[in-house]
Amino acid sequence: MATDKINVDVLVVGGGIAGMQSALDLADQGYQVMLVEKSPTIGGTMITLSKVFPTLDCASCITTPKMSAVAHHDNIQMFTYTEVQSVERQGNRYIAQVVKKPRYVNENICTGCRKCEYACPVEVPSVFDQDLGAYRAIHVPFSTAVPQVAVLDMDNCMLCGKCEKACPVEGCIDYEQKPQEIEVTAKAIVLATGFKITPVDAKAEYGGGKYPNVISALAMERLLAPTGPYGHVLRPSDGKEPESIAYVQCAGSRDKSLGVPYCSRICCMYAIKQAMLLSGALPLADITIYYMDIRTFGKGYEQFYQNAKAMGIEFVKAKVAKITEDENQNLRVRVEMMEEGGQVEEREHDLVVLSVGVLPAYNPEAVFGVPVSSEDNFIEIPSPNFEPCNTGFPGIFAAGTATGPMDIVDSIVMAGAAASEATAYLHELAAAENGGVTHD
Amino acid sequence: MSQRVNPELLTEIKKYGAADISACFNCGNCTAVCPMTKEDETFPRRIIRYAQVGLEDRLLSSKELWLCYNCGECSETCPRQAEPGAFMAAARRYAISKYDRSGVAKLLFTSPLWSLIFLVVLAGLIALFMLAQPNPPLPPSGPLKVFELVPVESIHYLGSAVMGIMGLIGLLGILDMMKRISKVDDKGKLLAGGKKTNWKEALWNALITESLLQKRFREDCETSEEGVEKPWYLKKWFLHASTMWGFLGLLAATMSDFFFYLIKYKVSGEPVTPAGNPAVLWYFVHVMATIAGFFLMYGTSVLLYKRWKPDSRTYSDSNQADWVLLWLLWLAGFSGLFLEVLMDLPQAPVWGYGVFIFHVAVSMEVSLLAPLLKFGHAFYRPVALFFHALKPLEE
Repeated sequence: MATDKINVDVLVVGGGIAGMQSALDLADQGYQVMLVEKSPTIGGTMITLSKVFPTLDCASCITTPKMSAVAHHDNIQMFTYTEVQSVERQGNRYIAQVVKKPRYVNENICTGCRKCEYACPVEVPSVFDQDLGAYRAIHVPFSTAVPQVAVLDMDNCMLCGKCEKACPVEGCIDYEQKPQEIEVTAKAIVLATGFKITPVDAKAEYGGGKYPNVISALAMERLLAPTGPYGHVLRPSDGKEPESIAYVQCAGSRDKSLGVPYCSRICCMYAIKQAMLLSGALPLADITIYYMDIRTFGKGYEQFYQNAKAMGIEFVKAKVAKITEDENQNLRVRVEMMEEGGQVEEREHDLVVLSVGVLPAYNPEAVFGVPVSSEDNFIEIPSPNFEPCNTGFPGIFAAGTATGPMDIVDSIVMAGAAASEATAYLHELAAAENGGVTHD
Repeated sequence: MSQRVNPELLTEIKKYGAADISACFNCGNCTAVCPMTKEDETFPRRIIRYAQVGLEDRLLSSKELWLCYNCGECSETCPRQAEPGAFMAAARRYAISKYDRSGVAKLLFTSPLWSLIFLVVLAGLIALFMLAQPNPPLPPSGPLKVFELVPVESIHYLGSAVMGIMGLIGLLGILDMMKRISKVDDKGKLLAGGKKTNWKEALWNALITESLLQKRFREDCETSEEGVEKPWYLKKWFLHASTMWGFLGLLAATMSDFFFYLIKYKVSGEPVTPAGNPAVLWYFVHVMATIAGFFLMYGTSVLLYKRWKPDSRTYSDSNQADWVLLWLLWLAGFSGLFLEVLMDLPQAPVWGYGVFIFHVAVSMEVSLLAPLLKFGHAFYRPVALFFHALKPLEE
């Protein structure tokens, strides 16, 4: 198999909001950027959200233009469904071996018409919809995916050939597509590998993932999104419109018994945001947020919290100790009502949302040599106050939630900072190379 | 009513264990997860809060301190790993040492070296007291004749004195606790939460249901690990009951022994035979003591093993208070059973007399110190339960 070779200034790893912002900031300054993303579309976690705090802007409306800008930028080469296998430093360059996984669809000629998807008889749980909805084995990941290209889930495909018959472009669907190896030479690397949520089934006291009506906050984002699986907020077990919804804060973080002692920073704000959106979506529903303490740390965030209280959302100071399910799959939340006399109550709710925390999605140590902190497994930044994006390796920078829990605002700021630190490095490198002096 | 605040309270309690309790940020997980919490009995968080803000009177007069069986559920699920279960145990030790004005309980709970020296010296003194008798030389061979070494009356009078002192220490402690309970202004809470109880019901409940039978320990606090039910002989309740009933059985046997002795020799005026072997009249007592001894040995041996290799939070975080009591009981029980075997031998070794002295010294020591050891909970718990159950009626 022939190996393609690509030569760029900066390799950006990760196509979420931080990676996209870094790539755009670098490309706008004239640098050649290659952006690799492991999933079939860019957009990251942000594109799955309904609205963002504290402005309540529609997440799609902010993210989609950035995704398009990345895809169409002259200085950006975007590679989706692609992973970095190994990185090696040669002189002042990084040589990265990346592999583009087979989509079984020719990306260059697919028009995104979705006729294959309509023809496919196999339904699989939708990763985009947090497994609440379904898509076909061959599908465009979601309506605003970039690129608008189908991907075939070979694990679930039964090779019936219906998609190939339905496809109007000859030779577009290719069941024998092979992985494509690419050798990338880059002067600098930006790691924006993002986060994943703490598992919903981690805590046995919360049902260990067995209760259908105990969902993660990301699942609630999908229920609230206009493009969500049901088009309405319904609870998963029976499709009932929930009348009483509980939020369990710190369901995955600040819990040493789960091995996540740190605060995930975003959960208070997203829970308040979702509670506000639910007040709009289900005006008659009672919404309760059980919290240990509310951490509204950013500009305008405290006011956001006060607004939520004024809207009638109930805030109960208590750590939820146990959730049990009754025969109607309603949930009983056991708490100490410490601000109302300290008695223990079991309060019934139709739907419980776990405000799960933030874990690093990827450990770059094996491939990039960049170490992670032994405390939280996020990328270690040696001097966070001085060079907040510098990993300590020449030319390797980090941005966004790969370095620790943060919200979208901070991710975008840090992505810009990483681009700035990278351009400073590239300038210095160019000067050194022109003067015939090697870097370092 | 004004509250006196002791700013050193938390630091003080930490000397009794509970090293991690400063991590607690009052989320209330422990209270909600606790199988013992009821409407008006909520803990451990409230008790931890008392310690954090220095409300010593509240802490020392609380019933919840004595309700906890340390099932470990709170420590298992504490998001801060602040070990609330270990804190409750430490707070109980603190309470026991506060009810004791002599300072001996504090020494026994907080200083491993000094408590070891104290225990050895005290046992040595008891042994010396028994040996300092005008006694005939040891018989060189034949069965053990222990009452030729130490006259049976000496042991009985020493025993009576030990029981008397123990009772006095216990009573003083109980009075101290009752004073604290009556002093604290808890009217509103107790009236709102407590239902009306008559004193007979309260007494029965405190003494029989909850102390001798440990109903809630059996029914509520048997936490199963991942749904696997333990066999009855390994359940926490049974291990505790085995130890408790073993001890009570031995106590009862010793008392009846003394009682029969009084009847036989003092009332009838028969001369005392210095035989070590039990007479026929003693036979029933002898059997009861042996059975109780086996129960005590079983309970303490398994508990010692579990504290050595903990399989549950109940047995982790062992403090010297736990070790001291278990070892004293184990040594007393083991030496007693061993002595029984020796006394039935036609040719007993001379060191058998050493086993006898050791057994009597350790048994008397554990009895004498009972209110000052971890054992103290047996004194304070029933009284606290009874007194708190009574209180709503008084108001």
